[in-house]
Amino acid sequence: MSLPSHLQNNLTPSEINFMAENELITILPRYSMNKIELIGTKVPALRAMRREEIPLWIAVVLKSQDKCSIVPPSWLNLTYLKEKYDEEIRKPLRFSDLPPNWLEVSKILLAKASDDLADPTHQLRSILQDLREIRLVKSRKGLRELNESNIQLNGLSLLEINELRPFVLTVMNKLRLLHDTIAKKDSGDADNVSDDEY
Amino acid sequence: MTSNYYDLDDILADGEKVPSRFNMTVPGLGYLEGNPGKAVQKGTQLELPMWLAEVLAICAILEDSQESFIDLSEPEFISSRVLNAIKTNPRTVDLRKLLRNYYKLVEKWGTFFNEPSLIEIIMTMLKERAFEINNFASNTNKLMNNDFTYTLDEFERILFRMTSDSNKQMRNWLKE
Repeated sequence: MSLPSHLQNNLTPSEINFMAENELITILPRYSMNKIELIGTKVPALRAMRREEIPLWIAVVLKSQDKCSIVPPSWLNLTYLKEKYDEEIRKPLRFSDLPPNWLEVSKILLAKASDDLADPTHQLRSILQDLREIRLVKSRKGLRELNESNIQLNGLSLLEINELRPFVLTVMNKLRLLHDTIAKKDSGDADNVSDDEY
Repeated sequence: MTSNYYDLDDILADGEKVPSRFNMTVPGLGYLEGNPGKAVQKGTQLELPMWLAEVLAICAILEDSQESFIDLSEPEFISSRVLNAIKTNPRTVDLRKLLRNYYKLVEKWGTFFNEPSLIEIIMTMLKERAFEINNFASNTNKLMNNDFTYTLDEFERILFRMTSDSNKQMRNWLKE
């Protein structure tokens, strides 16, 4: 492939951001509009003041033209995020179940539709930052437990996994290569033993 | 990252010399020990590159004999002195000084001699050092003149670069 190697095995954050823009979000239109036939998700006919679900990127376009207001997703408010933050602290060995694209969606909404959010932007930003940092610290700690056969990343979002991927894959691959030098000479049941261990 | 015919690091790793002892007298090979035109005597200790030693150590002289052309003796990079240093504190070992392609060589050695205890030690070291590398790669504003980053072997350098690139991308995106 002619792609540079750092783009071959991994997505960039902006690519993931692009994918997150396809997420459906509820809006409150201020004008009526005919439906739009798109290749991906279709946009239904919009009637003023009637809630509809449309892809985030269209919502942002309409919002920038002042044609709708965006209804923030149920998780994007201080109370919910605080709760999740406490949960992260309470359970040091687990990640709380935030939506798979919480980083991307919150970033887009904070930048493009901050006036539609229920809570002050700076408070949201700081709690999101806190969440990101505590999860980052946790995942770093978890990297001590790497082994050659498997890794479990419950509750991490796509973007967070993507950030870890180059590191984790390289190390695990090397561990596998080293481990293979033993396993190959042993008979088949040796493999089962190593599977049970982890 | 797997070994590849065109992988420069793999080629370099193959060129690392390992101590070996000849089990037979080979005529005309004297130039290996700076004795052109003479024979290499049986029992001569010589440092041969891995790619050559590998073949010679496997091939039996005669079809029905157990003896091979050369015997490999334990090279320095897995000597008990080095392994003890690794066991004591994996982070302070200067892999780069030891061998530029440490893990590759251990891999080759392991494939050869099947040494679970050696591999065990190296895997523990890799985990420990990888953890440290990740710490360094995520904190690029941390003092960079730390000695640890100078002791990384080729593989660890690549790992370090990839990790810090990935972290940088993420930071830049968050700042956008």
